[in-house]
Amino acid sequence: MQVMTDLFARIFGDGLSPVGLLVAGGLTMALIMALVMALCAIVFTWAERKVAGFIQSRYGPMRVGRWHGVLQPVADMVKILGKEDIVPQDADKPLFLLAPFVIFIGSLMAWAAIPFAPGFIAADLDLGLFYIFAVSSAATIGILMAGWASNNKWSLYGAARGAAQAVSYEIPLTLACIPVVMITGSLNMNDIVIAQQGGIWHWHFLHDPFLFVAFLLYFVASIAEVNRGPFDMPETESELVAGYHTEYTGMRFAFFFLAEYANLFLVSCVATAVFLGGWQPLFGPVFLPGLVFVIKAVLLVLLQMWLRWTLPRLRVDQLMHVCWKVMVPLALICVLGAGIWMLATGQTG
Amino acid sequence: MTQYLRDIYEAVTSALKGMRITGKHVVRKPVTLQFPDERWVLPARFKGFIINDVNLCDGCLRCAKVCPVDCIYIETMGKGKDRFMHRYAVDYNKCIWCGLCTEECPTFACQHSLDYDHALYDRRRLVYEFVDPARPVPCHKERRQQMGYFVEQVAAAPPDPDRIAKAPRRADLPETAPGGAEGGGA
Amino acid sequence: MSETATGRGWGAQDVRRELHSELLEINMGPQHPATHGVLRLLVHTDGEIVQGVTAHIGYLHRCAEKIAEGCDWRQWMVYTDRFDYLAPINMNFGYAVAVERMLGVKVPERAEHIRVICAELQRIASHLIAIGTFGLDMGAWTPLLYCFREREEILNILERISGGRMLYNYFDIGGLRYDAYEGFERDVLDFVNIMEQKIPEYDTLLSYNKIFIERTADVGVIDVATCHAYGCTGPVLRGAGVPFDCRKDDPYSIYDRFEFDIPYGEGEQGTVGDCWDRYMVRMREMYESCRIIRQAVDALPGGPVKAEELKKLVKVPQGSLYTRTESSKGEIGYHIFADGGSKPFRTKVRSPSFSNLHVIEKVGPGMMLSDLVATIGSLDIVLGEIDR
Repeated sequence: MQVMTDLFARIFGDGLSPVGLLVAGGLTMALIMALVMALCAIVFTWAERKVAGFIQSRYGPMRVGRWHGVLQPVADMVKILGKEDIVPQDADKPLFLLAPFVIFIGSLMAWAAIPFAPGFIAADLDLGLFYIFAVSSAATIGILMAGWASNNKWSLYGAARGAAQAVSYEIPLTLACIPVVMITGSLNMNDIVIAQQGGIWHWHFLHDPFLFVAFLLYFVASIAEVNRGPFDMPETESELVAGYHTEYTGMRFAFFFLAEYANLFLVSCVATAVFLGGWQPLFGPVFLPGLVFVIKAVLLVLLQMWLRWTLPRLRVDQLMHVCWKVMVPLALICVLGAGIWMLATGQTG
Repeated sequence: MTQYLRDIYEAVTSALKGMRITGKHVVRKPVTLQFPDERWVLPARFKGFIINDVNLCDGCLRCAKVCPVDCIYIETMGKGKDRFMHRYAVDYNKCIWCGLCTEECPTFACQHSLDYDHALYDRRRLVYEFVDPARPVPCHKERRQQMGYFVEQVAAAPPDPDRIAKAPRRADLPETAPGGAEGGGA
Repeated sequence: MSETATGRGWGAQDVRRELHSELLEINMGPQHPATHGVLRLLVHTDGEIVQGVTAHIGYLHRCAEKIAEGCDWRQWMVYTDRFDYLAPINMNFGYAVAVERMLGVKVPERAEHIRVICAELQRIASHLIAIGTFGLDMGAWTPLLYCFREREEILNILERISGGRMLYNYFDIGGLRYDAYEGFERDVLDFVNIMEQKIPEYDTLLSYNKIFIERTADVGVIDVATCHAYGCTGPVLRGAGVPFDCRKDDPYSIYDRFEFDIPYGEGEQGTVGDCWDRYMVRMREMYESCRIIRQAVDALPGGPVKAEELKKLVKVPQGSLYTRTESSKGEIGYHIFADGGSKPFRTKVRSPSFSNLHVIEKVGPGMMLSDLVATIGSLDIVLGEIDR
């Protein structure tokens, strides 16, 4: 946001008061973040289909747009905008109408603390990491709302599963980040990235073996957190039809999709910032920081897609087993191990 | 505890093995065709839409009799040399592409074409008329010769892909009269 | 409550009594992605635990058995295609064998060999779908597409030989409709070579994937007694550890000449008769089918493909006969009553999926909702054959 306020200050000179600058900067950043989210959905729906296609020996979309169906998401958007907005007769109408936006907003708010480049961060919070985890779990409420309000048994199943899953996987997700916080001694996202300066061997995931395991744990938990395969319990198209968004059509359905892909990118961005050195390049001086950051995050997203199109899905109780009996203990060991490592190597937070 | 650790190890390694296989496919060339632009070669025996070459047909009704779903409507008038066929229609709403009629046909008039892609707005247009009612087709061989129809006997020949490929396609066939389906209970 | 039920030991029963809770009645199907067609399952659930399953069938009933009474003997072959639309050749085979036995017709050697090749190709195709959709029920999309890729090769061969891609109507009473095309043997052998290389790939990708094993081992265990009680055959019975196969135990056509094994479930990953065993039986049967095809292609003689003595209009002598053959789903039986006319007096089809499906009512209660989906997937039902 510093970048934006500086920019406005340069454009308007003394024409804007500090408060005005803050408001203008904040609004611009919010707009940019919303656009980033929309862009995520557009790019990643296309990418997901292409990845799935090539993995499965086919092409994926090829028709709209000249090259490999690049305009397919645009065509989908146009189609989806033209769809009728159906509310089931016995649905809990206010909740039903509100749910997609709750999910969307939960995702949007978290973007505020993602440091894309030096200074290019909407809200440079001291509790940045904590804030992201806190806000992104608001999406669970949206899932529950959607599932309950649809008045559909499959939706209800999806919602119950989704809520249980999101609440459970928050814990390994957060625990996996704690070693990094211990090393950096800060929850500020900017500080965490700056602490990884100076080439790939300074990035947190290569800091010590425990952090590498923590990174893997974070990666797995993040897939579960955004409800994607092999942890796509709330949607499980072969069991629950479409889970909590079974009854949604048109634009509201699109919002669920938007939120899914935005969340996918969000957790990858967090992983990039926390473990993979954020905007720091592999070696050498900082170079095109924003681009480096986005490339890293996109690679992580592609990895998640690769996993999704390879693995079968877990069962609900196995999902919980993996979370509570495997990932949480491992994450705790990582926290302990990272602490001992720090003492042994004489680092202090 | 050993089992617990082995489970984790197996889960990770088997996932990686699977990812290796899927990853290999990403760089492989896809096997699918881009349908309307690329089409596969149809075999000579392909069971496409049934066509009837009225030049060859002698109106023997065998195809209509053998059809398990009664989708071939043939109407004839007269007897002997004066027998004329004024309707030969195939109702593709009913046709199940079993190929019994083509096997039964003694003159190889009734054949499967290589035609398979039709999209229509009205199911009544799926009743194909092969004979113009205003110009009935003579059934008897001699009369056909007199009237200049093609009478070359096709001696027990397998379906000729060339002839089938050149068969009249949907666009060339006469339009079905309005209400064709209703009047179609031959 | 079964072992998988999470309520065990948590006093769940007591809590429910105090809460006056009810079971959730939920319709799985007829439009549901996991029911493989238009099957409707009425499921009573207690949370994630299934307490009762009832299978409602009949959404695809087309009166095929009644239609037979109005068709002549050869015409009805067309309808047998439409029973199990994923393995029509196997359905044709059973009917052809049944009528030929009643007629006492000797089918020419070449026709028999081509029949066996086609039937085994079809069996592989059907098993590929079974494996693929089972994977899909587990949430693995990619194996399905790989399976379809290989199935496409089979369909191409069958299309070249019969003209149809799905419903072939290729078998005729007393032989085949057309002879094999030029290069048929080469195509078949090429396919078999590819197929034998692909099976290990499926194994790595799906069969021995840890998540897949966790999802299928010890799930939906159908033991031998249940199989006998419900009349289960095919991979379901073989998965329960009984190496019964009509091709071996009640040979028809020329199956007694070929050397092949009957794979059966041994409980490698869990209990004998679980979903994984049934799945693996299919996987191994594809190997065996490849073996049979190789032998049949090697022994393929020349000659006619239709019994010469048969007239166009077949008349079957008076009597009744039950003939069973092994389709990809299990034992397909045709019980035919003839009155000496050109049409069947009555036909009764004993379809394997019908018997296999209803086991779900026995094994369903106590499992989790996801396991129910897995069990149905592992039974490999085709509704066209159940409802007929």
